[in-house]
Amino acid sequence: MPGPREAERRVVVTGMGVMTPIGEALDDYIESLLAGRSAVTRWKAGDERCASKIGGDMSDFDLGAHLRRAGEAYPEGLVQSLRRLMRPTPRCGRITAPAAVQAFVDAGLPHSALPPERFGHVLAGHNVNGNYVYEGHKTYLEEPEYIDPLFGVVAEDTDVLSVITELLTLRGPSFTVGGACATGNLGIMVATDLLRSGRVDAALVTGPSNDLDPPSLHSWVIIEALSFKSFNDDPTRASRPFDALREGFVPSEGAAAVVLETLAGARARGARVRAEILGAAAASDATRLTKPDQNGQVRSMRDALLDARVEPRDVDYVNAHATSTPLGDAVEVAAIKEVFGEHAYRLPVNSTKSMLGHCLSAAGLVELVATILQMERGVLHPTINQERKDPELDLDFVPNHARPARIRVGISNGFGFGGLNSCVVVGRPE
Amino acid sequence: MTADKRTRDEIFAVVKSNIQEIVEGAKGIDIKETDSMRDFGADSLEIVEVVSRSMKDLKIKVPRTELSGAKNLKDLLDLFEKFAAAPPS
Repeated sequence: MPGPREAERRVVVTGMGVMTPIGEALDDYIESLLAGRSAVTRWKAGDERCASKIGGDMSDFDLGAHLRRAGEAYPEGLVQSLRRLMRPTPRCGRITAPAAVQAFVDAGLPHSALPPERFGHVLAGHNVNGNYVYEGHKTYLEEPEYIDPLFGVVAEDTDVLSVITELLTLRGPSFTVGGACATGNLGIMVATDLLRSGRVDAALVTGPSNDLDPPSLHSWVIIEALSFKSFNDDPTRASRPFDALREGFVPSEGAAAVVLETLAGARARGARVRAEILGAAAASDATRLTKPDQNGQVRSMRDALLDARVEPRDVDYVNAHATSTPLGDAVEVAAIKEVFGEHAYRLPVNSTKSMLGHCLSAAGLVELVATILQMERGVLHPTINQERKDPELDLDFVPNHARPARIRVGISNGFGFGGLNSCVVVGRPE
Repeated sequence: MTADKRTRDEIFAVVKSNIQEIVEGAKGIDIKETDSMRDFGADSLEIVEVVSRSMKDLKIKVPRTELSGAKNLKDLLDLFEKFAAAPPS
C-alpha cells in the first residue's frame, strides 16, 4: 500500500461547528455525548394525526437567544449579518447557518491567505425545508395570494447553501450533494476530491438540519422505519442501536459543518489542524429499496480504507451508522466483521445516534464532528440504552458509559435508503 | 369599494410596520407616502415581502399586474385603498 499523499493532496479539518438539541457549541455537544444525554423528546409541536410522536426537536430554536448565549464566540459583523439574513429564512437555514459560522470562526477565518474565490461550499443535504414546503402548500390551498412571497426562493435546498455563502463570502464552487442518509459523508468525499484536484484551496461542508414534515414522518411509520411502538412515553430510551429491543430509528433535527483545507494550505497560513480526512468512498446497491445490503456496506468501507491507504488492522474506532433498526444494525455489524475480521472484536463501535437520534442529511457531519472530538479528547462516548444484549450482535459497542481510548484512525459510516453506502476515514493530525 | 381617510391611515400604518420590520435601512425612519422602499435600500425580494405581507395582514388582494405599476408608497396605498373592503361599522 502506498504511503501518505504529498501535502498538496492531503485534506485536513481546520474548523468545526454543531447545532444540535444536546449542544449548540462543540464543547457542549461532546460533554452531552460523553454524559450519555439523550436528545429525544416528544415532538413539541407535532401534528396530532401523525403517528411519529418522538424525535430530536429544535422547533423552539430561537436564533436571538442562541446569539446571546454564544456571547463573543461569533464576531459582531457576522452576528449582524446572521440577524439580517436569517429573518426571512425558514427553520432549516436558521439552525444550520450558526453551525457554519462556528466552523468558519473555529478555523480562524476569514484569513488573507484564503481568497474567497478559492473557497468552495458543499451543502450536504436535500429536501431540507420539508415542513416549510408542507405549510406553504397548505396556505396555497387556502389562498394562493397569502403564501410566503419568497416561497419560490427560500424553499429551495440551494437557498440554505447560498445564504451561507453570502454570510461567509464564499465565492468558489458552491453546490448541494444528496444521498439520503449517506449525504453527509458524500459531502465530505466530494469536497475532498475538490481539494485534491486543486479546484479549491478550502471548502466548507455543511450538513443542514432537515425540517421534518408530517407526511414524511407518518410514511416512515407506515413502513416501520421509525420507533413508534414501545417508547413514545419513554422517548429517551427509543434510540437503542444494537440492543435487542431496538425497533426503528428516531429522527432528529440538528446541523454541523466543517472547514476542509489541504495540509499544505493549512500549514502555510498557520492554521490549527484538528484532524485529517484520510479517505472516503461511496458505493451503490443498485436498488431503490430501503433494505440494507452487506455487500455495498463492505465495499464502501474497503474502498474508503484503500483511498486512505490504511490497513483494516490500523483502524482504532468505528462511528457506526447504527440507526436502531432491527435489520440495519445487524447488517452493519456483519459488514464490519467482514471488513475487519478478527480485529472487529478489538474495535470499539459506538453510535452517536443512540443519544442524538438520526439527523438524516446532517448525520454524517454531526458524526464526523463527534468522531474528531473523541479523537482529540482520547475518549469514547457511550452507546446508550444498552439494556438487553442481542446475541447476534457481539462487538464492543461501548455500552452505556464513556471510557478513555487512544484513537489514531477512525471510520464513520453512513448508509442511506436506496442502497446508498458511504464511509469516511479520519486520522489524528501528526 | 372605496375606503375612508381613516382606513387609508390604517393601511399606511400596516405597510409602515412591515417596512420597518423587513427593510433594515428603514428602521427608526419617519416613512412618508412619497417615499419609495428603494430609498431605504430595500432589495427586490424585500419589496415583494412587504407588499405580500401587508396584503395578508389587511386581508386584501390586488392583481399582480396592477402592483407592478406602483412606483412609490403612494401608488401602493392607492391600490390597497382601491381594493380594500370597507371597515366594519
